[in-house]
Amino acid sequence: MTLVGIMLGLFTLVMIGFGFVWVIGVEYHFGYLWWPYPLVLGILFIILSLFVGNPGWSALLGIAGGVFVWGSTELRDQAVRAELGWFKFNSKPKPDPPGIRWIKRIKAPHL
Amino acid sequence: MFAELQFAGFWMAAATFVGIWSGHVGVRWLEAHSPNVLPPALILFAIGLALNIYSLFAPTFVLAGVTSIYGITVIWDGVEMFRQQRRVQHGHSPANPNNPRHAAYLKAGTATTTELLDRDPQGVPVSETDLEAYQKTPLKNKAEVNVS
Repeated sequence: MTLVGIMLGLFTLVMIGFGFVWVIGVEYHFGYLWWPYPLVLGILFIILSLFVGNPGWSALLGIAGGVFVWGSTELRDQAVRAELGWFKFNSKPKPDPPGIRWIKRIKAPHL
Repeated sequence: MFAELQFAGFWMAAATFVGIWSGHVGVRWLEAHSPNVLPPALILFAIGLALNIYSLFAPTFVLAGVTSIYGITVIWDGVEMFRQQRRVQHGHSPANPNNPRHAAYLKAGTATTTELLDRDPQGVPVSETDLEAYQKTPLKNKAEVNVS
C-alpha cells in the first residue's frame, strides 16, 4: 500500500484552492488580459517537469503547471463575474501586460 | 532521448487539467439534466472514493498519482453539483427549462436561461438595467444548445 498517490491528490486540491485565490487577485489588480502569462508559466512548469529526474518533484511541478494552465483560462470569466457584480469590481486603471497588442488579437481561452 | 525524460509530471499535469475540465463541463451538464442532484452527487463521491482507494494499491507511482488526482477532482465535482444548483437558482448559470427542478426556479423568477458568462469583458460594471435586458435577450448561445 502506498500513500504517495493520495498525497499528490491532496496537493492538487490545495493547488486548485490556491488557483481560485490567485485568479481573483490577478484579475482584480492586473486584469484578465494578463492571461498568457500564467499559461506560459504553467507550460514552462510542465516542460521543466520532464527534465527533473526525481519523479516526486516532477509530479509536483506537473500539478502546479496544470493548475496554472487552468487558471489562465479562468481569468476572462472572472473579469465577467466582477463586471456582473458577483465579485468585487476594481474600477482603478489596470496595468497593460507586455505584448498587449498581440494579446488583444487572440480570444482569451475559457473552459 | 525520450527515454531520459521524466514523464511523471506530464501525466500529473494532464490528470489535473483533464480532471478540472471534465468537472467543469460535466457538472454543468449533469446538474442541468438531473431532476434531483443528490443521486449523481453520491455516484460522483463513490467514483472518486473508489479511484482513491485504487491509488493506494496502484502498481506504479504514475498510476497512483493520476488516479488519486482524478479521484479527488471527481469527489469535488460531487460537491460542485450542489454549488451549481445554487448558481442556477441565483441566475448565475443558465437554467434548463426542460428540467422540472430548473423550471420551478424559472417560475420563481430568480433563474435565467441566459449564459451570462458568454460575453467578453467590457471593463465596466454591468448596470442593473443592462443585466435585466441581457437576461431577456433571445437565446442564441451555446448554453441554450447544451441544455435543450
